[in-house]
Amino acid sequence: MEEKSPDAKQLDARKAVMRVVGRLKPIHLTIALILLVGLAMAVGNREFLSLYNINTILTFGAILLIAALGQMFAILIGGIDLSVGGTISLISVMFVFLVHSVGYWAYPLCLATGLAIGYLNGVILTRVKIPSFIATLGTGGIITSLAYLVSPRPIDAPPEDYGYFDIVNGSLLGIGNVFIFGLVTFILLLTFLRVTRTGRNIYYVGSNIKMAWMSGTDIVETRNVAFVLCGVCAALVGIVISGVRYGGDPVVGTSYILNSIAAVVVGGTALTGGVGGVVSVLFGTLFLSLLDNGMNVVGIDQYFQQAILGAMVIFGVAVTFDRSKTPIVK
Amino acid sequence: METTVFRAENVVLALEGVTRRFPGVTALNRVDLEIRKNEILGLVGENGAGKSVLTKIMIGIYPPDEGRVLLNGREVVLKGTSDASQKGIGAVFQDGSLIPNLSVTENLFLCHENGFLQFGTLSRRKMAAEARRLLAQMNIDIDVDLPVASLTPAAKQMVEVARVLWLSEKYGASNPIVILDEPTTVLNDSERDTLFDILKKLKSRTSIIFISHRLQEVLENCDRIVVLKDGQNVTDMPTKGVEISEVEKLMVGHEFSGDRFREVEQAAPRESVVFKVEQIGKVGAFEPLSFEVHEGEIVSLVGLVGSGKEQLCRCIAGLDKYDSGSVIVDGKAPLNGSSSSAVHNGVGHVPIERRVEGLALNLTVADNINYLVLDKLKRAGVISSRMEKEHAEKWVAECLVKTPSIKSACGGLSGGNQQKVILSKWLSSDVRLLILDHPTRGVDIGAKDEVYRLIRKFAKSGVAMIVMCDTLEEDIGLANRLLVMRDRRLIGELDASAGRKPSPQELIKLIV
Repeated sequence: MEEKSPDAKQLDARKAVMRVVGRLKPIHLTIALILLVGLAMAVGNREFLSLYNINTILTFGAILLIAALGQMFAILIGGIDLSVGGTISLISVMFVFLVHSVGYWAYPLCLATGLAIGYLNGVILTRVKIPSFIATLGTGGIITSLAYLVSPRPIDAPPEDYGYFDIVNGSLLGIGNVFIFGLVTFILLLTFLRVTRTGRNIYYVGSNIKMAWMSGTDIVETRNVAFVLCGVCAALVGIVISGVRYGGDPVVGTSYILNSIAAVVVGGTALTGGVGGVVSVLFGTLFLSLLDNGMNVVGIDQYFQQAILGAMVIFGVAVTFDRSKTPIVK
Repeated sequence: METTVFRAENVVLALEGVTRRFPGVTALNRVDLEIRKNEILGLVGENGAGKSVLTKIMIGIYPPDEGRVLLNGREVVLKGTSDASQKGIGAVFQDGSLIPNLSVTENLFLCHENGFLQFGTLSRRKMAAEARRLLAQMNIDIDVDLPVASLTPAAKQMVEVARVLWLSEKYGASNPIVILDEPTTVLNDSERDTLFDILKKLKSRTSIIFISHRLQEVLENCDRIVVLKDGQNVTDMPTKGVEISEVEKLMVGHEFSGDRFREVEQAAPRESVVFKVEQIGKVGAFEPLSFEVHEGEIVSLVGLVGSGKEQLCRCIAGLDKYDSGSVIVDGKAPLNGSSSSAVHNGVGHVPIERRVEGLALNLTVADNINYLVLDKLKRAGVISSRMEKEHAEKWVAECLVKTPSIKSACGGLSGGNQQKVILSKWLSSDVRLLILDHPTRGVDIGAKDEVYRLIRKFAKSGVAMIVMCDTLEEDIGLANRLLVMRDRRLIGELDASAGRKPSPQELIKLIV
């Protein structure tokens, strides 16, 4: 063999690295990230792994999980939902008033509101034909205003108000109900996506909407369903937050817009649609929750936390994003 | 680098033992290729034989896993398309890579405008003058201020060729190499002749690699021909005196019978009518017309572009609305303009734009095959993954889809195998009428035969079909009956049952 040129050598080295990286799947990398963050936080503060703290992580993780699962449907179908923040805020304040006046009916009424908001988003996309990014930016603004109209500032509701209607703060066999909500939502949506026709159609429409239309799939209905699910999930998050805090807050949802999107993409789901699923979202959520909680436990300055979170989202997506399935990134 | 091996003086670009692997497939296996000065080299092979991967290695998109690339006798590493074009190697792809809303001038010099700077801004006058000089040199008459979108496909290709030549000139590469990837599929006959005229003139200062599925034109216009098969080069010979059948044999590895469209397997259609249109019309697209298709019958729609046949098929498939008349499938009338209603009434459509309209590219082979029948793969009301797997595996075997696994993404398959996936999808459903829009477009010879086999088989089982083909020979060979359209009217029909096939000449008289 003759001497290889430096160019060729460099290329060989790069190829060797690429071969190793190529065998890993996005999900492996997400899990590795989770372990890494968990380890770092545990080293930073022993209390991170205390039973009490793990319970906190699971509770808040479950809330983010529900929001992210909803968001995943919007993203899987090739869109995005920026109105979840407004919906969560609105429901959180609405629930306080409703539970006071109509009791149990507050639950179905709030979920129905979420459904209506989701349907409205869907219809603006499918019938008025405005991209979901713009459509939900608009409806998000309107809904946030509604939340302020219901209550311009945070309101508390004494625990007595919830009375025996309170199904958020209880526990079953020692497991918090919030966690159970998250788990049930996860299992329901997992089943829906895997074994029902409509669930499958979401993948087909997200992957190639023109093909789906030409193959006889009702693309209007499918997209509406995706946005309705996102709205209902957001409403559920609003109810849970209202229950956990014994009160509503017209800005409480804001952070969930970007956090839900981040949880979806860190899990390895592409913003272009058609790729991903609930399991990826579960891991993405776990990653963000560990990070968020860990930074508090370890005692990182509040002002720095946003920066670290932002940097970790970019890092997480850079590592886990499956570029083999989406060659061109917009 | 000091290893300049002795080779013929006139070799400009040489690939030596180039190997490139992808997960599950070896796309190229120790391929050697030489491109000489002032020649047109024909590169042919089935889809999946490795032509496009080879092209991508030559223009630096993929690095080879093994082997060397030598340019003028020196080993080079091409770091990307921009590096390759500065070294004088450029490719023109079938679907083009120009930006439609920019002018010819802007496209020609895109990203390399530095030479036109005047006081820090671009001199449009200088650019236009250079563009005119460049095109005049190639004897091409195009208004350089027009947006590229308004050009004919042939003119677009010429602009791309001009760009490759200009870049090599600018960066001082002495003998540019232009790779043309299936340029003629988008051209009509006279445009094609013009293309070859220009290529022959360009030969005096360039080397051209010409990739095509049309062996006739390769043999007529190229000096040498290289045949790729399964990622290896099987021959490298001058084209003089070579017969098409010899090349076909090399490409598929076995001899082709004279029966190219499996005409022997053609069965007579049955009595019952599956599909009929009555006085269907669409203003500006086609005049009211009526016809029937019988069970198991293959009807070919022939006519030039603009004859209205494409719009007619879109209306039948529910993709467009018709203005008058009716469509009947098995006695039922699908809703006008609803693809969903058409599909549920048994009308299937294999589109011409396979990747854009036919497949979910990032979903798996199984997902694509099972799409229409998911409702039937249920156990206790839910989709059963075991039944999905069985159904997909059955159809992969039935249609001979070559894929690493049923869980591979469809985007990674070759054109022929993608087409087989689309056919499996429709044929496994309750399709009664299948519209095949250029079913063998961009499909290599071996896979074409597979497509014909499937068409015959399902016609025999009773599926009615309407086809539009790439060539008249294919139309005549496949069809039981030919419907001729001209100037938006159905002007007649010809019997084409086995043994009574009309000649292409007879047909062409009716069409034009």
